[in-house]
Amino acid sequence: MPRYFIDSSDGRHSDIDKEGLELSDDETARRIALDALPDMARDKLPDGDERSFRVCVRNSDGSVIYRARLDLIDEWLDGRV
Amino acid sequence: MNDLRDDRAIAVEALIRYLECRDQVSAYERNLLANLSMRFKAFGKGEELVVEHSRPNESCLVLSGFTGREVMLKDGTRQITAVHIPGDFVDLHALLLKLMDHSVVALTEVHAAYVPHQELVRISEAAPHLSRLLWLSTVVDGAIQRAWIACIGRRKPLHHLGHLICELSVRLNAVGLAPRHSFDFPVTQAQLADVLGMSLVQVNRTLQALRRTGLVSWKASTVTIHDFAALAELCDFDPIYLNLINEPR
Repeated sequence: MPRYFIDSSDGRHSDIDKEGLELSDDETARRIALDALPDMARDKLPDGDERSFRVCVRNSDGSVIYRARLDLIDEWLDGRV
Repeated sequence: MNDLRDDRAIAVEALIRYLECRDQVSAYERNLLANLSMRFKAFGKGEELVVEHSRPNESCLVLSGFTGREVMLKDGTRQITAVHIPGDFVDLHALLLKLMDHSVVALTEVHAAYVPHQELVRISEAAPHLSRLLWLSTVVDGAIQRAWIACIGRRKPLHHLGHLICELSVRLNAVGLAPRHSFDFPVTQAQLADVLGMSLVQVNRTLQALRRTGLVSWKASTVTIHDFAALAELCDFDPIYLNLINEPR
């Protein structure tokens, strides 16, 4: 099975996957990467900071084959800052 | 023959040590436990000790390694709802439930003893206090389950992971397997994801975050808590639910 590397960042801490995972195909790697976003958001959203949660998948050649991003936009609409 | 006698001695000692975490075990009760009939079996990682939808006529006691109570979903994902350690009965409840609604799987290499239900009924009737102690072990399983639900539902990933590590350390220490808050826990990140109900990537991130606290190191399969009080404070871990108090029951 091919090896995939899944990197992630919550805007503060980046996690570069050095070990990788043996997965059946690209779609499985995409699913695992995508699954991480709600967890990462749940971990950090209570801070209320605007930030982007990102994941990407690298294949064994080191090419980035997939990426996904979840943004939190946090704003008052009555002129407050 | 020697192996068999050793297995039996290990099983009886593990069970008594577990029960003695919470109450005295009398000489009469020890004798009943020492004469239980049992069979022994070794399991490789991933093998099932107890099968979902089966009707077991014996209950399974862990002698070495870790097991997980496993609930599988239709889409192939799973949740490990409990981790059992040496000295724990993994399915004492099957004595009364009869039909298993989940399976129990070996998370590591596991050595286990199976005790026939009729034997458990016999010793329960011969010694009502011993019966209460066995009942207590299922009650404690329930208390642990409550703590886990709170972790899965409400705690942040770092606090959830830290809580699990505190719990395992305290439980293992009670049966002599985590001296100085250091213990062997040879599970993969994928297994940990199923225990914590987290995505694989989140488990990896949470392990990194735990390392950054400097309170725990996790090298190969050895977990060492460097400052238990600080980790317990960080993760809001209060061991009261484990009920590790030796008192008359």
